[in-house]
Amino acid sequence: MGGQVTAVSAQPPKVLVAVRSRQERLALRILLPTFLTVVVVATIPFVLAVIESLTREAEGFVGLDNYVRALSNPSLYESLRQTAIYALVVVPAEVLLGLGLALLVHRTIRSAAVKATIYVLAIIPIAIPQVAAGVVFRLIYAPEYGILNVILEQLGLIDQQILWLSVPALAIFSVASVDIWQWTPFVYLVLFAGLQTVPQEAVEAAQVDGASSWAQFRHIELPYIRPLILLVLFFRIADVLRVFDHVFILTGGGPGTTTQFVSLYLYRIAFKFSDLAQASALAVMFMIAMTLFYTVITRFMPLERD
Amino acid sequence: MRRQRRLPRLLTLAALLGVAVVFFFPLYYLVATSLKTKAELFASEPTLVPQDPTLAAYGSVLFGRNMITLLGNSIIVGLVSTVLALVIAFAICYPITRLPTSRRTRSSVLNWALSLRFLAPIAVVIPYFTIVRTIGLYNQLPALILVYTIFNLPLSIWMLKGFLAEIPLETEEAALVDGASRWQAFRHVLLPLSRIGVLAAGIIVFAFDWAEFQFALILTATPQAQTFPVGVAGLVTQFEIIWNEMSAAAVIAIAIPLMLMIIARRHVMTGLTFGVIREK
Repeated sequence: MGGQVTAVSAQPPKVLVAVRSRQERLALRILLPTFLTVVVVATIPFVLAVIESLTREAEGFVGLDNYVRALSNPSLYESLRQTAIYALVVVPAEVLLGLGLALLVHRTIRSAAVKATIYVLAIIPIAIPQVAAGVVFRLIYAPEYGILNVILEQLGLIDQQILWLSVPALAIFSVASVDIWQWTPFVYLVLFAGLQTVPQEAVEAAQVDGASSWAQFRHIELPYIRPLILLVLFFRIADVLRVFDHVFILTGGGPGTTTQFVSLYLYRIAFKFSDLAQASALAVMFMIAMTLFYTVITRFMPLERD
Repeated sequence: MRRQRRLPRLLTLAALLGVAVVFFFPLYYLVATSLKTKAELFASEPTLVPQDPTLAAYGSVLFGRNMITLLGNSIIVGLVSTVLALVIAFAICYPITRLPTSRRTRSSVLNWALSLRFLAPIAVVIPYFTIVRTIGLYNQLPALILVYTIFNLPLSIWMLKGFLAEIPLETEEAALVDGASRWQAFRHVLLPLSRIGVLAAGIIVFAFDWAEFQFALILTATPQAQTFPVGVAGLVTQFEIIWNEMSAAAVIAIAIPLMLMIIARRHVMTGLTFGVIREK
């Protein structure tokens, strides 16, 4: 509205300026108190974490000692490494599977009713609380009662139980499978929605020219969905780096420390060893790392910020 | 031509069906286990189909183990913090979508909200734990309500902003020209028009509140304030797992957000992707 006025004449009539600035003042009068309160409330934990990370209950101010202790704990690096492995298994698997399914459905399913059904079915895993997802896979992987071993035995594929959750080499993949099961549908939904925006004429023209289906993907569909692939990577990486719930249910970080990802490690330091000072130092570093990650990556996001 | 194309089409359909089976078998098995009798749990081998289906496990988990109290806590915390998050989101989105604000103000508000979405709960809960214990809110519902409200603001703000931006400014301006006050125009014109959006955002926010686990695990200790997911986790980490009860609890934990998300299905993806995806 204000924009239109300035577009007509460079010097808008005084009355309109008054009206406009009154509205601007109203906007700030509603926005500022609410927004500032919320920002302050949300920032208090961070400030407190910084203070706590520089002190210790008995000694008071200890400088960077808690950071030194946190960084010299070898378990930290182990947990970072396991988190990286987890992310490297889970994120590519989800993106490739989700992309594959999106292309498959996009190219073969014509009926709108079937597409709508698939949409609803794909929402189901997303709606499941992660704690419940952990429970679901406890029933699949558990020793004795887990159904996977029973099925594999009946098919004659194994003759001895596989301890999916307690063999160190297997546990991280069993836990990763739950993530893939739950979040591939999300990737599918985002990328499928992107494929729907590819103009049909471009695809038809390519097919008339005899383009292979790889060429069709590479040169026509991929440019349309590239920003969405970035978006999906952003959301999935951010979620995977702070994974907690279903791992807590399935392995609690074990066996040993093979599934003790960053969040579980912080939980252990803070609430199992009750070392809140060291945990605060870790929390501050974790928040700073996530903020950096966030700042770098959001520049590439196709989000409407207006 | 046509026959050549039919075979790959059948193959892809078979592949999709296979994927669907793999995806839904675990959920089927969860429901099947929740319907088993106690006696069936001790059979030599777990069965795929409950031999004597019963709802007994639901009764014993809700009333025998008093998970009904946790269910109540979850609903109270969810409802209160959903309403709070929506009210605050309205106070933030109304000026940035309906009133003249600078581009910088708008984008800094939205960026801030987005950055909050990517905070790790565990990093926040460590200082929050100290605050809550100091002010005497440990193991109290208000502590959860406060933290859930803040953590759900990003989603609420981005969803509301999307919905409000779709309502033409002229609708309110017409009312203002007719002599209505800003508040009246908001109350009688904008609010009714944004009803569906508010409802959709509310449903999705509630579903997230319902599923939240880390804060509830750390900030509560007894059934007085524990939420349903904490109760579910308690059934798992016990020395001996009662499979049918654990499954029944998980089915309840899933059923509520699932129903809500299916009701609000057209807006779920919009919410999860912060407005990038708009379905239908």
